[in-house]
Amino acid sequence: MADKRIGFIGAGQMAEALARGFINKGVCKAKHMWATDPVDERKEVFRSFGTNPVNGNIEVVTSSDVIFIAVKPQYVSVVLREVRPHLEDRHTIVSIAAGITLQSLKDAAGDGIRLVRVMPNTPCLVGETAAAMCLGGKADDSDAQLVQRLFDSVGKIYRVDEKLLSAVTGLSGSGPAYIFLMIEALADGGVRSGLPRDIANQLAAQTVLGSAKMVLQTGKHCGALKDMTCSPAGTTIAGIHELEKAGTRAAFMNAVYAATQRADELAKSG
Amino acid sequence: MGEALIRGFLRSKVSSPGRICVSVRDVERQDALERIGIGSIFGDATDGGSKEVAQFSSVILLCTKPQAMTEVLQSLAPHVTSEHLVISVAAGITLQTLESALGEGVRVVRVMPNTPALVQCGASAYALGKNVTARDADIVDLLLSSVGFCIAVEEKQLDAVTGLSGSGPAYVYLMIEAMADGGVMAGLPRETALALAAKTVAGAAQMVFGDDGGSNSSSALGMVHPGVLKDRVASPAGTTIAGLAELESSGVRGAFIRAVSRAAQRAKEIGS
Repeated sequence: MADKRIGFIGAGQMAEALARGFINKGVCKAKHMWATDPVDERKEVFRSFGTNPVNGNIEVVTSSDVIFIAVKPQYVSVVLREVRPHLEDRHTIVSIAAGITLQSLKDAAGDGIRLVRVMPNTPCLVGETAAAMCLGGKADDSDAQLVQRLFDSVGKIYRVDEKLLSAVTGLSGSGPAYIFLMIEALADGGVRSGLPRDIANQLAAQTVLGSAKMVLQTGKHCGALKDMTCSPAGTTIAGIHELEKAGTRAAFMNAVYAATQRADELAKSG
Repeated sequence: MGEALIRGFLRSKVSSPGRICVSVRDVERQDALERIGIGSIFGDATDGGSKEVAQFSSVILLCTKPQAMTEVLQSLAPHVTSEHLVISVAAGITLQTLESALGEGVRVVRVMPNTPALVQCGASAYALGKNVTARDADIVDLLLSSVGFCIAVEEKQLDAVTGLSGSGPAYVYLMIEAMADGGVMAGLPRETALALAAKTVAGAAQMVFGDDGGSNSSSALGMVHPGVLKDRVASPAGTTIAGLAELESSGVRGAFIRAVSRAAQRAKEIGS
């Protein structure tokens, strides 16, 4: 891993979050990273934390082993076709573009190329992504391990079949927004009950963060954790009752499902 | 809760096993504490335990169930002096109750913590009794900060805190399970769905704290308004807004407001 050079075609916020995460967690040195972007400011940002910004996509490819395609979905094909003649066996192409299938990556990059498609999510920006990947072209387990190692430095990544990426989009891709909504509503509840807004905000966000960590770190079932917090005739079970009366569980299931269906629609039309 | 706090204090090294003593009635709990390395374990508070704790400690945490508090306070009162700082995490037990039971001059603090203190990500609020000094407040802050976020509030706000951060974890577990169910409905294996759901919740909450160095802070503490974050990720006719539309049409916001309010109300009922 230490000797792999990483390139970014597209140096936006996601690319920056990934690059910084890799450097912070020591999976790649800044001087072993290359990046390009049409916007000069973005190149300057990448220069500011020690990487090598360059002026063309081809130069990124020739300088790197692992290449992140971090441009907007509509430019992925154009970019891959441009660099296609320079792709070699050592290269692993990692696309983080939403909705761009392995087939379309293959059509643009050619046969015999190692392709990995990743669906990250916005908390990548704070080093806490929940992501999924699938392999295509000539990519093999060593590519999967490499991408896993990289993404472990900015969160967690899971391997799935490509056909499940719409579901991943509906759940972890769009999921953060459902949580933002919930945090705001919890804070509103706190304000309704007499707390100043800033205190309500902090308690709400911290409660959500801590509870998620309980699930992640204790490995206990959500239902068991919920049971443990609900003492007889207490405050918690009263609150739970309100959520159950309102069909909150079904609402969240519906949200994930509707977002998944929309992802499928977009994939078909794209 | 007591165990969560002890484990949290030890993990964050704000105290050590040799500097903590516990009075606990249940033999199983005593064994559990021995396993974490707590050396001084005394028996039932009402059966001599209180005296031993008071002699050993300068800071006493009362983590008994609210219904047992009267007895415990009675057993502790003869042994507690103005040299002690007494911190109660018992829901609904007021500062007045604590002060009148333990004697005038005793320094008392009332805390509403929550269970994620176990993973050092708790949310606590505390109200200071009338004899508490600035140094006491610092100690409380130090102890509670070692297991997560803490903030001083007025006592009358503690019922609201109970409804929000005290009971909140259960609402979040419900939501995580539901999101995982949604993932399974959409075709993901359970384990993957649950892992993605829980990690997504953790990541999203972290973003509200603005650790991305965001420039759109809504307060001096650098927090970002959840509505702003939601807007940023909901692109036109995309997947996210489709999901959000489901939540809104089901009145999920109102459900969470009612959950917090009802739980806060229940806290008030229990306390009075």
